[in-house]
Amino acid sequence: MSALEDLLAHPGVWRGRSTGLPTAVPTRPSGFAQLDRALRGGWPRGQLTELIGAPFGAGETRMLVPVLAACTRERRRVLLVAPPATPWIPGWRQLGVDPERVFVIRAASEDDIIWSCEQILRHPETGVLLAWLQDSRSGAPLRRLRLAAGAGDACAFLYRPPAVAPQPSPAHLRIRWQADGDRLRLEVIKFTGGPIPAGQPVVIPRDVR
Amino acid sequence: MFVEPACGPAPSLSESGRPLWLALYLPHLALDALAQTGSAATKPLILTEDPARPKVHDANRAARQAGVRPGMALADALAVLNAPIVLEHEPEASRRHLLNLAAVLLQFTDHVCPEPRQQRILLEVGRSLRLFRGTGALEARVRDTLRQLGYTPRIGIARTPAAARLLARLRHPDRPLDRDALRRTLAPLPLTVLPLPAADTQALHGIGLERIGDLLRLPRQDLALRYGTRLPEFLGRLLGDLPEPLPRFRPPENPAFHLEFDQEVSATGALRFPLKRLLLQLEQTLRAGNHRTQGLELQLLHRGGKTTRLTLERSQPGSRTEEWLELWSIRLSRLELPAPVRGLRLSVPQLLPAGADSDGLFSSRDGSRDESGFLTRLRARLGDDAVLRFAPTLHPLPEGAQEACSPDTFPALPGGGTTPAQRMAGAALWLRPLQPAPPPGPHEWLGRLEGGWWVGDDQRRDYAVMRDPRGRLCWVFRDLRTGQWQLQGFWG
Repeated sequence: MSALEDLLAHPGVWRGRSTGLPTAVPTRPSGFAQLDRALRGGWPRGQLTELIGAPFGAGETRMLVPVLAACTRERRRVLLVAPPATPWIPGWRQLGVDPERVFVIRAASEDDIIWSCEQILRHPETGVLLAWLQDSRSGAPLRRLRLAAGAGDACAFLYRPPAVAPQPSPAHLRIRWQADGDRLRLEVIKFTGGPIPAGQPVVIPRDVR
Repeated sequence: MFVEPACGPAPSLSESGRPLWLALYLPHLALDALAQTGSAATKPLILTEDPARPKVHDANRAARQAGVRPGMALADALAVLNAPIVLEHEPEASRRHLLNLAAVLLQFTDHVCPEPRQQRILLEVGRSLRLFRGTGALEARVRDTLRQLGYTPRIGIARTPAAARLLARLRHPDRPLDRDALRRTLAPLPLTVLPLPAADTQALHGIGLERIGDLLRLPRQDLALRYGTRLPEFLGRLLGDLPEPLPRFRPPENPAFHLEFDQEVSATGALRFPLKRLLLQLEQTLRAGNHRTQGLELQLLHRGGKTTRLTLERSQPGSRTEEWLELWSIRLSRLELPAPVRGLRLSVPQLLPAGADSDGLFSSRDGSRDESGFLTRLRARLGDDAVLRFAPTLHPLPEGAQEACSPDTFPALPGGGTTPAQRMAGAALWLRPLQPAPPPGPHEWLGRLEGGWWVGDDQRRDYAVMRDPRGRLCWVFRDLRTGQWQLQGFWG
């Protein structure tokens, strides 16, 4: 009996009835009160976060600007792997992101992208990784990335196309995003270690400052 | 016999800075220089010389055990060996290898004198002894350094170059540091070991001399009368009565290292081992010259004079073999070999002074240092231009307001943040090549940008953000001169 209790007390075991979060994953504040509440503190660190949606440019990078700015203020790096367009650095600078700490990695093949992300996530100076994956493949490369993310404490955001939403994924957090009028609507579809936040989807305003 | 009065322990003469010579003789230079690739090490291998009447220049252990000796006719050697590897000896290549080793040995002394034809290098080590704590330790260091690079030297140490050469060739264990000790070492040796013309040796035998000691006992003037001045002069240099000035070796400006394989290699993985040898040599050479390097060029040599050229740049200069080897392994693992590889050539485009090591206390987390070299690893795999940063410029138009730069260099930012003109275009995040756009539906004005007239490119634009039917937040402007709408990038 006590063995069972020991087992249930294990931080990795989460029981459906309990409402508290068994393991506190370190987070970075997202900059939006509603989102921080839904994510129990903010964007998880040392974990993979998938941002699933299309098309590129709908505001899905802009909603991360508060995290990026906070990260470069801490003198850590922001790395963009295989972005579909060129970052316009004067714009980033106006929003408080230090251009000296923003690195762009150009990689064409899926293998190169995954390998680069692994290298980046294992590096202690990495603050935030943004990677654009064009894949619809299975989760083996993502599991490698999850291990790499666990080796550091960076926020790892993976942009993936909508087609992958039904597939299983080792990511800690999966969010589907969609343009909604002037705003961006977020829907949590997987959240390890806790129930999916119920209620209204989180809405991000267009103009993030 | 005159004996000096003893007054305490006599200080070793050489310790006080008197010249002392270390001779390195590399009898198997050409063979050592060949990269023995894996399985081939156990197969008999012979190097031939003299294409007109081919004979054996050198043979590896397997071939020597079968009875092959240097100087043997090739036909005889082939008769006793079972399917040996036969390669032609290139004296020019051996010369290059010897000069490379001379550059490596500059870490022990500033006076190095290579003698390529005799496959020999002389080092003046008298002044280095204290630094290296005596002859024994110094000799061990020199031997280890060469062993690491794949060479097996014979070493002789004596107070004159001539005697050091002799002891090295004979593998003599004595290390005579003063004149008397040298005489004692040389005396019992047969006359035939001296590098004298055969006629002289014959003549000396003719008057009943057998050993060097017999010769040294004769008065020099008499020898000069009988055999001319060459013999007494040689003896004078041997014992140190006459000086033997030797030129000083100057290392080349751009070191290059060469390695030929005994067999062609067609898998990039097999290049790692020989490359490591070259990198070790590079590291030693850089250390000797107090240099570092930021870039390396590697040539893969194929049959028929074709080469594949690869270059590698790091963000921080360095010389460590392990670091460079890891980077090259990444680069090579992604390479499709166009043809089998016969050899490697590694060269340094530009030497940098070693300088003080600038990594340290204050360098962490300033965004530009690359302590673990991970940006360099990314570049090694993805290409030099695959890792970049963007620096803002003062150009008013968004498409000119930033420039790509490599991760090692980042120009100082123009003061005062973004220029007012740039602010007029808004804080968009993504830039695209300009593209005509249809007049937008509902949109929000950002501001009017006027500029570029001073560079002859007068532009007046009204910027706006709009959500297009696909859901993208488009960053657009209307050219006030033409009325045409253009897509500049994306807002989000």
